[in-house]
Amino acid sequence: MSPELQHRAIENLIFEWARAIDEDRVEDIVDLMLDTGTYKVQSRFNHDRQLPMAIIDCQSAAQLRDRIRSMRIANVYEPHHYRHMVSGVQVIASEDQTHQVRSNYLIIRTMDLDGDMKIFSTGQCRDEIIFTDNGPSFKSRHFLYDSRFIETLLVIPI
Amino acid sequence: MSESVVSFHSKKRVWPSEGFTRTPYWVYTDADVYAQEQTQIFRGDNWHYVGLEAEVPAAGNYKTTSIGEQSVILTRDEDGSLHVIVNRCAHRGNMICRDAFGTVKKLYCVYHAWSYNLQGDLAHAAFSKGLRGEGGLPGDFDLKNHGLQKLRVAKFCGLVFATFSNTTPPLLDWLGDVAQGIQRVLKKPLRVLGYDTQKIHANWKAYHENPRDSYHANILHTFYGTFGLSRQSQESSMVLDKTGKHVYFYTKSGTEKPSADFDKTTTDLRSHNDNMKLEDPSILKWRDEFGDGVSVQILTTYPSFVLHQIANSLATRQLIPRGPHACDLVWTYFGFADDDAETTRMRLTQANLAGSAGMISVEDAAVCEMMQKAAADGQTGQSFIEMGGKTLESGGTSKLSERAIRNFWYNYQRDMNWDAT
Repeated sequence: MSPELQHRAIENLIFEWARAIDEDRVEDIVDLMLDTGTYKVQSRFNHDRQLPMAIIDCQSAAQLRDRIRSMRIANVYEPHHYRHMVSGVQVIASEDQTHQVRSNYLIIRTMDLDGDMKIFSTGQCRDEIIFTDNGPSFKSRHFLYDSRFIETLLVIPI
Repeated sequence: MSESVVSFHSKKRVWPSEGFTRTPYWVYTDADVYAQEQTQIFRGDNWHYVGLEAEVPAAGNYKTTSIGEQSVILTRDEDGSLHVIVNRCAHRGNMICRDAFGTVKKLYCVYHAWSYNLQGDLAHAAFSKGLRGEGGLPGDFDLKNHGLQKLRVAKFCGLVFATFSNTTPPLLDWLGDVAQGIQRVLKKPLRVLGYDTQKIHANWKAYHENPRDSYHANILHTFYGTFGLSRQSQESSMVLDKTGKHVYFYTKSGTEKPSADFDKTTTDLRSHNDNMKLEDPSILKWRDEFGDGVSVQILTTYPSFVLHQIANSLATRQLIPRGPHACDLVWTYFGFADDDAETTRMRLTQANLAGSAGMISVEDAAVCEMMQKAAADGQTGQSFIEMGGKTLESGGTSKLSERAIRNFWYNYQRDMNWDAT
């Protein structure tokens, strides 16, 4: 695969994740990661201070599936949805079939009941993406959100 | 308690005649009430959690935090003692510390270079003698009279509390029987694992009532009941201090007592969802590290502090009011300094259960905000708080009781001086 096609495939994987969430097909994101993949959402505040705690810390695809099932069945929250803006996708290092990728994200949250729209989260994605026979997959996704605050709650994965 | 009438400049608020078994919704919305709380409660005779000793382990370390709306600084001085100081220059009121944490030799105001030692005493004011005989401070200026405002500080089991008031009883007396719930968990030196701050668009009291409310825990939070971490049928209890200001609840998992009432009620409850199975249950694997079988303990001190043990997830929660309609909830997750890597990993994994993205507890912020919206302008309506009975004692140690909430409103009215009118 040419570097150009490879870059497109990487971008596409990142866009697929965002679109699946925004189109309320949240379950589909788990198919974009390895079974052994990890998914973390952590404040930049903690990360900058070498503090390991992350508000979402899934150590496997199964744990992310459980979280999404909990969101659908168990958790109570005011209905809302997201719109992701993703920019600046860059491959910063590659080794064999594994690529270290950075991108920026901005999420606008819209509440269903009153239509209230707010910047919900913005920050950087640090991804490890691996190409296998099935194409590219996330080996790890690490969202670093810039504000140390979460507006109310984070129940839909970002 | 008889009817309490509250007078303000131009309007009169009337507390319902039932007393602390009712809460009028204006108490969650009124700006005058909010302003009075800052004086009577947050600067009144109460101890407020400001942090962990482990957050300022070395001389010169500081942490910036808040008590009520007021920004304060927690410092550790050269002798190792702790100080809590208002984060406002004694000169013209500029904020001194702008970082959440830091290490300094002195506290320095950037506006006019007034500097203070770590105890808050003024050490130097720039150009205090003027220049070439002109300008400068008056001859009677004395550094000693212009220090930063200092609070009383007390520590207990690695927690640091402060109070603005000289008449607050000593911390251990103030905590009373609830101190034992803190001692049970905070047995060893701590290590901070990280922070999570939630902005909740609801009055601070709506959140403060929540961890006092043992009735809701197993009903609203489906996750608890379904996976057996905490159920109404398990052995549980509640401890209040003698003033009723503070409370903790605990539950022991794996102590099911069969009961026909429980079986009947849970079939109707949304929270007992047998369809929900975890594909990877490792998130719920926990170790009885305190050796007493308690799987969940939620401890609340009036008016702004929570200590939780949810399995092996340990955290403090600090409640900071931000106007009548908002509050910040700061979660500080920690383990023990001697935890091995596997124990730390277990605590980090269980951190998925609570906090702003907590699989158990996201509901709490949602409910607080829905309550605030439903209160609307607060001009009408009142809540009904008689689960377990109508008195401060009724309900005993049962978790199916609102005793701890009645005790909150009893203390709140006293602190606001509303019971005497």
